[in-house]
Amino acid sequence: MKNRWKYTVAALLLLVFMVVAGCTPGSGGDDSDSEDTADNGENTEGSGDGEISGELEIQYFVGGYGDSWWKEVIGDFEEEYPDVTITEHAGPNINEEMRSRWVSEDPPDVVYIDGAGSSETQMVEDGQLMNLTSFLDEIELEDGTPLKESFIVEPAMYDGEVYSLPLVFDTWGTWYDSAWFEEKGWEAPENFPDFMDTMGTIQEEEGIDPFVTTGQHPYYFLRGMMYPAFGAKGGDELLTQTIQGQEGAWSSDEVMEVIKNIESMQQEGYIDSDFGALNHTQSQMNFLNHDNAFIPVGFWLPNEMSEDKPEEVEYGFIPSPMQEEGEPYAIVPDLRPLAIAEEADNPEAAKAFVEFVYTKEYATSFSEHTGALMNLQGVDLTESEDVPEFLIEANEMINNPDKVQIYQKPHPMSAELETPISNSLVSLMLGNITAEQFVEEAEAAAEEYRNSQE
Amino acid sequence: MVQSKKQRYLFMAFCLVPTFLMFAIFTLYPLVNGLYYSLFQWSGSSSAAEFIGLENYRKLFNDDIIPATIWHDYFLVITKIIGIMILSTFFAVALTQMRIKEAPFYRIVFFFPNIMSVVVIGILWMFIYNPSLGLVNSGLEFLGLEGWTRSWLGSERWALPSLVLPSVWAGIGLFMLMLMGGISNISKSYYEAAEIDGANGWQQFWKITLPLVWPQMKISILYIIITTLNGSFIIVQVMTKGGPNNATHVMGSYLYEEAFVKYNFGYGATIGVMILVLSLITVLIMQYFMRREKVEY
Repeated sequence: MKNRWKYTVAALLLLVFMVVAGCTPGSGGDDSDSEDTADNGENTEGSGDGEISGELEIQYFVGGYGDSWWKEVIGDFEEEYPDVTITEHAGPNINEEMRSRWVSEDPPDVVYIDGAGSSETQMVEDGQLMNLTSFLDEIELEDGTPLKESFIVEPAMYDGEVYSLPLVFDTWGTWYDSAWFEEKGWEAPENFPDFMDTMGTIQEEEGIDPFVTTGQHPYYFLRGMMYPAFGAKGGDELLTQTIQGQEGAWSSDEVMEVIKNIESMQQEGYIDSDFGALNHTQSQMNFLNHDNAFIPVGFWLPNEMSEDKPEEVEYGFIPSPMQEEGEPYAIVPDLRPLAIAEEADNPEAAKAFVEFVYTKEYATSFSEHTGALMNLQGVDLTESEDVPEFLIEANEMINNPDKVQIYQKPHPMSAELETPISNSLVSLMLGNITAEQFVEEAEAAAEEYRNSQE
Repeated sequence: MVQSKKQRYLFMAFCLVPTFLMFAIFTLYPLVNGLYYSLFQWSGSSSAAEFIGLENYRKLFNDDIIPATIWHDYFLVITKIIGIMILSTFFAVALTQMRIKEAPFYRIVFFFPNIMSVVVIGILWMFIYNPSLGLVNSGLEFLGLEGWTRSWLGSERWALPSLVLPSVWAGIGLFMLMLMGGISNISKSYYEAAEIDGANGWQQFWKITLPLVWPQMKISILYIIITTLNGSFIIVQVMTKGGPNNATHVMGSYLYEEAFVKYNFGYGATIGVMILVLSLITVLIMQYFMRREKVEY
């Protein structure tokens, strides 16, 4: 009898291990899988006969911008292509919900990359996105101009190849309450010395720490203040070097000057000493309650805080004033791209959809629906009554190169590098480390990042 | 009627096989899988995984943040054991032996945090610690201690100690009930005998109550260790996300950051293996130290 039990247990164990071995994704043929996806740069398979039909799966994140614009575009596309059935995968947690589909190589056809849990850089590194370099050459707007020449900001390049097309032009900047400023006779700052002066005045007159940001998400400051400062100091080149963590970039003189400026903001007591504990909505609430006067956030701030805004507050937006006197403001846009999956089941319909979306008409309707900009040049927003005032002004500013210089980052910073740098940044802004120590820590983080990429 | 051997074995199999299968699928499989993934460089969001052997373990031993996360975890374990055990023992003694009329009311009040989700507790305490509106700073100001007010969760020095209070507050109720169960099982005659011998309340507590509820205390301490090592993640994630500057990262929250924020799923799995090993070692050590014989009078 004892033996029988032994056999039973052995059989069960065997069963368990068979289950474990069989179910493990990535077991066995993993290495070959990764090669397949990485090397198949251009996926040109499809029906080839020009017929657009079948099922088209679209994944899009729904955040501060809502989903009404998507519903409109998708509805119009279905009318234009009646043979296509669209399946939408949308919501605020869609990136997490769809993760298992991407892991099992059964992704949706089209993906709008935005929100928590999504990373364009990671998707490209994992070979999940289709190479769109030659497809981009074919796309034209409704008036016949090539799409390639119509972007406000060019698509992100990975070794010279395009894997995603920037759809939403978002940009970080510094917000202030223009009504309050007018009442008190303060001017919106035009450069960094001016910024420091204004903060000094506000601190003196109101007894508040004039600047606030979220310490729980330090990338708000990194992207909202430091990137424009890097752009103004060293142009696209410095942005690229710092974002890619190139050797010596973080310890360069230009970066040091920027960090010194941030250190001086801390030393003067202009940065709210409580910022470390605040999440983004708390910091935004403090700003709206006049506990602080300046906050770096993206275009989505008014939409996100629409329920909480006191009546008298009026949103004013300037590109973060981190540049020296006499220089134009610097803007480093944050782009939310549209991409096609490398393993898309219906690449033809996916391409048709991507082409369909990029029109000036949809760009205007995007601003109406979301209060943000689509990444197309020369869209006239003044005609529309539904576009908020700050956006019309910002749009004019962005299209005026004397006032605002647009700098471009090559691609978003990898979380692998952004996380340690953000951590040191919090320490710097709390006054716990010096500019020199920050630079040292950032350089070490960059080195570790480079090593992990090898 | 005597059961045949076959029937007996059939019955045993009926009880054991489904349980074992469940255990295998929901415990053994994830365990083995975690070990397996720790040998890969994998982003966790695609099927492309590269076998890298023990590379993740090498990284683990060279990672400066890991020792800090381990210390943070054990800091919470130690402070929680001290805080929860002292308070819950005193509350339990007070509510069972001091003939307080409102005992049932207090029992409910103290147990209340246990039926709340840890996420809710975290959010609640974030408001309590809020630098400008929070109860803690307003209270200190009210007492004239303005100099003591600070940004509790935003300071690299104070953020971790600030997490202890909500953790202790959330834990007292359950252990208080366990100890109350233990205390009410102690025969009244011991106390009567002690009183005749002239022992005061304090002596009765040390000589009778404490030794006789020791088994319950032992289980409580082990339970606090295990739940803290596995579960402190939630309160950290809700209240500070490991910040400022990694000052509150525990092993679990660091695992989460590596696996789901920095897309190093393989390395995350390695940290998971480390948590498992450390939890096992800790529990074994604690069992050794607490193996005091059961006391009977």
